[in-house]
Amino acid sequence: MACSVILFFIGLYCLIVKRNMVRLLMALEIMMNAVNLNFIALSSYGAEGAVHPLAHVFTILSIGIGGCIIALGLVIVLYAYRHYGTLDVRELRRLKG
Amino acid sequence: MFGPLLDALIFFVLTTPLVGLMGQRVGREKIVVGAYVTFAFIFSLTLIPLFYSEVLRKNGISILYGSSFSPEIVCLEANALSIFMAVIFLVIGAMASLFSIREVKRGSITGYYTILIGMVTAMIGIVFSGDLFTLFIFWEVMCISSYALVAFRKERWESIEASYKYLIMSSAGSITVLFALSFLYGLTGTLNISYLSLGLAEAQRNSLSYMALVMIIVGFGLQAGMVPFHTWLPDAHMAAPSPISAVLSGIMVKAGIYGLIKVLLIIFTPMYWSWQITLAAFAVLTMFVGNLSALLQDDIKRLLAYSTIANTGYILLGLAIGSHRALTGSLFHVLNHAIVKALLFLSAGAFIHKTKTRSLKELAGIRHSMPITSTLFIIGTLSLTSIPPLNIFWSELLIIAAGLEAGTSLLSLLMIINLVFSAAYCLRLIQTVAVKKETTISKKAEEASMLMLIPILTLGFLSILIGLYPSPFQTLAEAAAQATRPG
Repeated sequence: MACSVILFFIGLYCLIVKRNMVRLLMALEIMMNAVNLNFIALSSYGAEGAVHPLAHVFTILSIGIGGCIIALGLVIVLYAYRHYGTLDVRELRRLKG
Repeated sequence: MFGPLLDALIFFVLTTPLVGLMGQRVGREKIVVGAYVTFAFIFSLTLIPLFYSEVLRKNGISILYGSSFSPEIVCLEANALSIFMAVIFLVIGAMASLFSIREVKRGSITGYYTILIGMVTAMIGIVFSGDLFTLFIFWEVMCISSYALVAFRKERWESIEASYKYLIMSSAGSITVLFALSFLYGLTGTLNISYLSLGLAEAQRNSLSYMALVMIIVGFGLQAGMVPFHTWLPDAHMAAPSPISAVLSGIMVKAGIYGLIKVLLIIFTPMYWSWQITLAAFAVLTMFVGNLSALLQDDIKRLLAYSTIANTGYILLGLAIGSHRALTGSLFHVLNHAIVKALLFLSAGAFIHKTKTRSLKELAGIRHSMPITSTLFIIGTLSLTSIPPLNIFWSELLIIAAGLEAGTSLLSLLMIINLVFSAAYCLRLIQTVAVKKETTISKKAEEASMLMLIPILTLGFLSILIGLYPSPFQTLAEAAAQATRPG
């Protein structure tokens, strides 16, 4: 569990600090993995050594959802690259107000 | 499989592309798909009374799928609150889909409508889910569809930029919610809502449950447009096609509020004192930032988006006050704000469709060339200013009165100050539309077509109807508020 909390905060740090659009998506994926790890780790609390199948179900579904988010994110990054010619998020600042 | 309403909607989602294909063969894709999806929403609305009587018969909760007797089984259930929200979602969805027939370009219409109806279906799934993981799955379906819809006009840079911002922020928020869910699962061994509240009452003084609470407020609050997590909202509302702005602001933000209601009032009831102050602080901040930023805008859709943020603040304030009357006021405000904001975004969409500009300076004096749309826009704006015979007045009155009743008169006072701010920008909108002299752009505009006027007129009619006869709607909101109190 400690591991997954650390992983989550690494992801969050990455999300705040990084400037590359694809890396931001990778940061999201790291956070997603932290959550999955946490589900598995916490489900073995009740019975030592055994993982509850419910946690497996949650994890598999959330991996699927993560895949969807990243796929759509990459599509948007692709279009953004065509519009701006760069992957730097600092360029995406035209919306203001 | 999942009860009549969700089954029907899922069937409609799956058949929309086929209907689009058939429409292409006939050569009238737009009309065929648009009519089909609108029909789907209206058909689902007719299922609701049937459903509601069943819920009443079964003591307020009807199980649609699975059972709630075992903590490990996924289930879907319906109560008065979920039906109340579902009606709002379906009405606004129907209006938006009718409006979209003229708004969206020919080439991609089938995809657009499939995603739109999929998004509304996912929202209905959110309000019917009886355990948090099902809620999360439907939540993600809704979010992913809305990213796609915001980025729908992909040839324009602002849609892409807004959608990217929205995607990163909103998925970070929903992953935070999931992280909190994993802690809740670790604490109690279940994610079923009725068992979670029991389990948390036992494991109360655990620091992990506080951490989960904070993460859930942040995650759902992000979707509801709570300050300081609101920055995606004006961009996304501005860049999306107008009917989608109406859907985003009218109902998707409300899905976030539904998540907060479900989690805070049903699961974290034993910890009421620990989240009340936090939520009240967020609510006050949200109102002030929303209203003050709205004063500065020139872009009509951006102004309306900031006013959505402010109204989220009012609703959260009702939640934070927490008495039965305040909750009724909040839910009633959810209904009223959904109707009025959809009305405003759709009529603003009609202006934008005819003039191709969103700037208030250029839209000045448009009353002369688009009289009907402008009249309804003014009705919506007056309602947003909370002028008495219109609907928003009643719900805001309820929230303020509940604040005074519960002894938190400071919160009521802050809300009244905010109403004055909101009156300032609403009157500016009215002045721009009706009083100022015409510009060259607004002179050239002509009245919106019939298909655009029907949804606008319906929503305007609803707004006046609820304003004149608030009591039946208020009773519904009261029943919905009652459903959040277990036992």
